[in-house]
Amino acid sequence: MKSLQLLGAILIFMGFLVAEQSNPKEDACIRCHKEMDEEQEEGQKLFPDILNDVHLKRGLSCADCHGGNPEAFDDEDEAMWENDTFGGEVSRTDEIVMCGSCHSDPRFMRQYSTAIRTDQVKQYWTSKHGMELKRGNEKVAICTDCHGVHGILPVDDPRSPVYDMNVPSTCSNCHSDSEYMAEFGIPTDQYYKYRKSVHGEALLDNSDTGAPACNDCHGNHGAIPPDVSHISDICGTCHVNNDKLFQESHLKPIFVKRGFGQCEACHGNHGILKPTDEFLNWDHGSVCVQCHRDKGGEAKIMADQFYTLLDSLKGQIAIANTFVEKADQKGMEVSDLLFPLEEAHKVLIQTRTSIHSFNKDYVEEIAKPGFEATQAAITGGKKALEEFDFRRKGLFISSLIITFLALALYLKIKDIEKKQSKDKS
Amino acid sequence: MGIYESLNERLYLDKIVEFSKKKKVPVFYGTIWYYLGGVSLFLFITQVVSGILLLLYYQPGVATAFESVRFIVSKVEFGWLIREIHSWSANLFIFFVFIHMFTVFFAKAYRKPRELTWFSGMLLLFLAMGFGFSGYLLPWNELAFFATKVGSDIAGSIPGIGDFLLRLLRGGDEVSGATLSRFFGIHVAIIPAVFTVLLGIHLVLVQVQGMSIPPELEKVPEKDRRYMPFFPNFALRDVLTWLIILNVVALLAVFFPWELGVKADFLAPAPPGVKPEWYFMFMYQTLRLLPAHVWFIEGELLGILTFMVGGLIWFFVPLLDKKAKVGERSKFWNWFGIILIIYMIAMTIWGYLV
Amino acid sequence: MNSDYSDIVNTSKKQTRRKFLDVILGAGFFAWIGAVLYPIGKYLVPPKVADISVDSVEAGVIGEFPPNSSKIIRFGRRPVIVFRQHNGDFHALSATCTHLDCTVQYKSETEQIWCACHNGLYDIEGRNISGPPPKPLAQYQVVLQNDKVIVTRGEMT
Repeated sequence: MKSLQLLGAILIFMGFLVAEQSNPKEDACIRCHKEMDEEQEEGQKLFPDILNDVHLKRGLSCADCHGGNPEAFDDEDEAMWENDTFGGEVSRTDEIVMCGSCHSDPRFMRQYSTAIRTDQVKQYWTSKHGMELKRGNEKVAICTDCHGVHGILPVDDPRSPVYDMNVPSTCSNCHSDSEYMAEFGIPTDQYYKYRKSVHGEALLDNSDTGAPACNDCHGNHGAIPPDVSHISDICGTCHVNNDKLFQESHLKPIFVKRGFGQCEACHGNHGILKPTDEFLNWDHGSVCVQCHRDKGGEAKIMADQFYTLLDSLKGQIAIANTFVEKADQKGMEVSDLLFPLEEAHKVLIQTRTSIHSFNKDYVEEIAKPGFEATQAAITGGKKALEEFDFRRKGLFISSLIITFLALALYLKIKDIEKKQSKDKS
Repeated sequence: MGIYESLNERLYLDKIVEFSKKKKVPVFYGTIWYYLGGVSLFLFITQVVSGILLLLYYQPGVATAFESVRFIVSKVEFGWLIREIHSWSANLFIFFVFIHMFTVFFAKAYRKPRELTWFSGMLLLFLAMGFGFSGYLLPWNELAFFATKVGSDIAGSIPGIGDFLLRLLRGGDEVSGATLSRFFGIHVAIIPAVFTVLLGIHLVLVQVQGMSIPPELEKVPEKDRRYMPFFPNFALRDVLTWLIILNVVALLAVFFPWELGVKADFLAPAPPGVKPEWYFMFMYQTLRLLPAHVWFIEGELLGILTFMVGGLIWFFVPLLDKKAKVGERSKFWNWFGIILIIYMIAMTIWGYLV
Repeated sequence: MNSDYSDIVNTSKKQTRRKFLDVILGAGFFAWIGAVLYPIGKYLVPPKVADISVDSVEAGVIGEFPPNSSKIIRFGRRPVIVFRQHNGDFHALSATCTHLDCTVQYKSETEQIWCACHNGLYDIEGRNISGPPPKPLAQYQVVLQNDKVIVTRGEMT
């Protein structure tokens, strides 16, 4: 009983501790501004978002950015206007320095997390945004434009504007505004293209946070368009095999020499779509003809070979599927055949990747086990169907035998009984 | 001296021959019902043969049970046939045993002096259902896994011995590999052993006491009754029915194969359509329909108690039915049986509709 | 006279029919037995399981084989004995005695392969030198790759 009471006391005490931590200290700024806030229009309100602010939660208060005296509860003048530290609204250029005063200090930031990075400001000045800002153009994005002003959330919070899935729309706030972007002379259709791209679909429709948002290719604090010659390094961070094969292919030096964007040359950039085998279809939609237009020759032969190879592998898989499905529908046990089917499917994907080597022998070698697997599945499926027929036939024969025997037995019984009744009479 | 003679000296074959020569079967409108016992016997033999064959390849155990059954149906020649026959003949077995029981009931064949035949038959029925319940789990597929979970759960809610029974059935607190080993042992060793002994008693009793006839027929003077000799007339007819049943089993096995399904997984959520075997359906459906509480008693508990009491009453019907003892039909027990049949059929259909 | 004759004809006709019925019944019975026994017989024959074809197996690292020691490894489905002589030479032989399929062992004292079942002896080359074994043991090749001991199929050359 005693120990229970003690436990209760400890629990209550701990509850106070937690409450103490999550409730910011009584603060003159917050008290007054909360009252003022009620008269503000929707969208201009600070509360309650500001209460979720990661800084406020860690003990930073309004005065730490804006200056002033948060302890002057009764006197507005003393709190702000007459206080030397009070700076009011922070200017756009100052802001970078101000955020950096903490965020660029590894020793300071370490107390919150050892994994936290402290190079954001340094990177920022190398970014297009930072360079423009240095030149005095205040239209570019600064810290708060992306992270939010009051009520900044940690980046892994899904409500944060820089959470993976929110990044595209955050960037598009400016970059899709053609009027706003006019003076920079860059396109404003990136978001529109990205939204429909395979990456946009994966990230925004399927919530696959492994798919790249704007920052995964352009960088975030050091945001800059990737150098044409290094695009493949960026794509290659995820598409490792494709990149490796292409780097080793004979096309690589030619692309570099002519200044093509490697991956981008065939796949595009913001509007990148799920590549199809039609990329190789010389007469209908091939991307090869973008450069190889006039000449047919070797390029056409190779594209045709690849296209035919993929086509026939797909065809074989479809045939194998039909056989296995048919056998399955007839109630045959086909789970064994699903392995080669899966294997063939895997090989198809590998073969598509292997195209990036632009080496016929290599591609054919990769594709070979796929054809073997489909052949195995087709043979198995055929066998299962034959087995099915065999069962029907076997049943028919044995059923016939049994019926026949039963009939003979019936006649025999009749015969015996006839004899018996005759014997009796 | 021939073989027969020398065997006769030792085994008294003459007496057996003489007995079987005298053995006769009454001929009347109900003669057809006499085949049901024979059909059940034939299906049981089929079960033994196909079961032993399955045993040659089956490997109990969580890692091997499902795989070995799949091996049997996909790799072993005619393995599919043996398994299908085992499954179909099991279902037909229970079906015919039920009909056999009800015909015996309505013919009042349980009355003196055949009470023991009825008791042994009822025990055989319970064991047959045990066969079904334990055999259902052995392929270790999803549906069987959950059906066993539910089934043993129901056994676990019997007051007093429920917890003990549940642990005893499952070989632990959960349906697991231990349950599989246990059910395997029950299915291939314990029940067959007990079943064989009881079946022996049942058959000997039938032979010794001869065929029963309904009370009305007993009033007909002996000289007006018609009979046929058991050998060869009735025996050949038995064989004829067996052939027909065999044909039916083969047809069902080929045209309506039982699917193997998906391997059981402890962590997977229950698939839709977890149902017990059809012969447990009327009980299962009843328990499903009962409200959580009836008066002060738990609904499920009430259902189980009712089934237990009902089962006991049904079991002891030869002792309870006073009229049958004196060779008369009791209206009460007739209606009891009819209502029971209607109830079982209705509940089974209902169970499959929802 | 006439009726007698027709009676005889009738009876003989009946007899023929009866005989025919018996033949049919017998034939049907045997066909049925066949229809039952054929699947059962086929069922009893164990199906062929795809053979695991192995060309080489890693027996371990050299450190696991001090001089004059041995180890039995699985090569596909069959056991293979890998042993190292006093002088450090590696050998690999089929570990299944050619006499009655017992598994053989390495006798370190005499550097011989010995089968305990019936005292069969082989030399390090697998030649049957004493006891009941009728044939030599099959030889495998041992390849040393870095520090790995690899056993491969094929004749020593």
